[in-house]
Amino acid sequence: MKRRAFLKILSGAACVLMLPAPVRAKKLLASPVRRNRLRPPGAVPEEIFAGKCIRCGRCVEVCPYKSIIPLDIRSGVYAGTPLVFAEDVPCYLCMKCVLVCPTGTLQKISQEQTRMGLAVVNKHQCYSWQEITLCRTCYDVCPFKNKAIILEELRPIVMDDHCTGCGICTHACPFTADNGDKAINIEPLFASATVKW
Amino acid sequence: MVSTAKCRVITQAVEYEREMVEKEKTFPRQHIRRWRLLVQAGAFLLLIITPLVNYYLHIHFVQGWYQSLGIGKLWFVSPLEGLESLLVAKIIYLPLLIGMVVPVLVAFFLGRVFCGWICPVHFLSDMSDRLIHLFARKKRRKDRLLLPRQIFWFVLVADIFIAMVLGAPLFVIFSPPGLIGREIMRAVFFHTLALEGLIVVAVLIANLVTSRFFCRYFCPLGALLALIGGKRRLRIHHDQDTCTECGLCQRSCPLGLNPALKEGASLYCWNCGECVEVCGPGALCLRWETRSQGQRGE
Repeated sequence: MKRRAFLKILSGAACVLMLPAPVRAKKLLASPVRRNRLRPPGAVPEEIFAGKCIRCGRCVEVCPYKSIIPLDIRSGVYAGTPLVFAEDVPCYLCMKCVLVCPTGTLQKISQEQTRMGLAVVNKHQCYSWQEITLCRTCYDVCPFKNKAIILEELRPIVMDDHCTGCGICTHACPFTADNGDKAINIEPLFASATVKW
Repeated sequence: MVSTAKCRVITQAVEYEREMVEKEKTFPRQHIRRWRLLVQAGAFLLLIITPLVNYYLHIHFVQGWYQSLGIGKLWFVSPLEGLESLLVAKIIYLPLLIGMVVPVLVAFFLGRVFCGWICPVHFLSDMSDRLIHLFARKKRRKDRLLLPRQIFWFVLVADIFIAMVLGAPLFVIFSPPGLIGREIMRAVFFHTLALEGLIVVAVLIANLVTSRFFCRYFCPLGALLALIGGKRRLRIHHDQDTCTECGLCQRSCPLGLNPALKEGASLYCWNCGECVEVCGPGALCLRWETRSQGQRGE
């Protein structure tokens, strides 16, 4: 009887623990790529990223700016995959990680062809667009100045055919919203396989 | 016509020569444990030194750990990780295949030597075994839970199957040898540890139940290497005539195999040479077998 009671308690506890399981399971399979959370340069589409990456961490070790951070178990099946937190440390496009990836998850690509995402100016929050100050920080720090970000009437505009989505502008932007967003954010538009990359 | 006496001399000479050749092909028995510890410690030190050098000195000559190790332009990719990546992504990437060549060749000729001589899990288990041996009152530990060894193959197939269904390479995420490297790197680079490191702790604790419980039954990488090394050249050779059937070899085997029953030549043996070291009469040796010898042995 004692054993039976123990088993009952055990299975009951397991059932209670499993209740939110579908929700949690869905979360564990969800990609961590979203606004300002980017894959390193040359990444394959997000659909096969988790399958192709073998979590060897060589891109993390080789990154001189410590931009690339390996995820942990809280990201579910994406545990161990590399991610760039654009507003903390952006990618400076040194292109070292693409040279060491053994699986081709990060493919060899030039600086100009890199598309980690696309910078999008939030015109409701940008100081220049709101005409609060003459801020042109994003324009100044952009590695493809006058190509990827241009100034029109002293207001920054992103040109999508040159923006690499490196996130240097996001990192430099002086405005920070309550949820951590900046006035210029990187949207990972090209992470999906539906977009030709 | 050759006389019978002369014939005998010739056959003796031939036999003597064959013996000498066989002797040359056996590896020295002495200090095999010491050599193994040296290799294991070196392999483990590499895991610690690499991130330190990368982080503090910015010399990126060596990167990675035993999932993929890059030394300059030379790449090694662990066979199971590479296989899962290929199967899940369904795209053939040549550098990945080339990176797998050396580990596969090593496994093909030498068997599971990665497990026995390099793998950090085995090294940590070895170290914890020694620690326990120092303080334990009962010196001899028994394997409390024995499972059929065929589980090994089942785990390998299940691992690949589940990885393909999920679309995420399971062993890549949770492989204990990889996790040790990842945790050390995380500790050096980000000064934290991740929760999944508990898997390594669990694997080490499972050693208390049965020696190398994980390595023995549940490591898919070990299973794949064993499978590749099915026709390996380097085997534990057992000499029936010199064996006194003392049972020391079986007691010393971390995998619980019995080399006296020629289990040292089976798929499961990882050629660590522990049994060779303890064998008093010298009935066991690590031997490089040519094909004909292997057939004769069987």
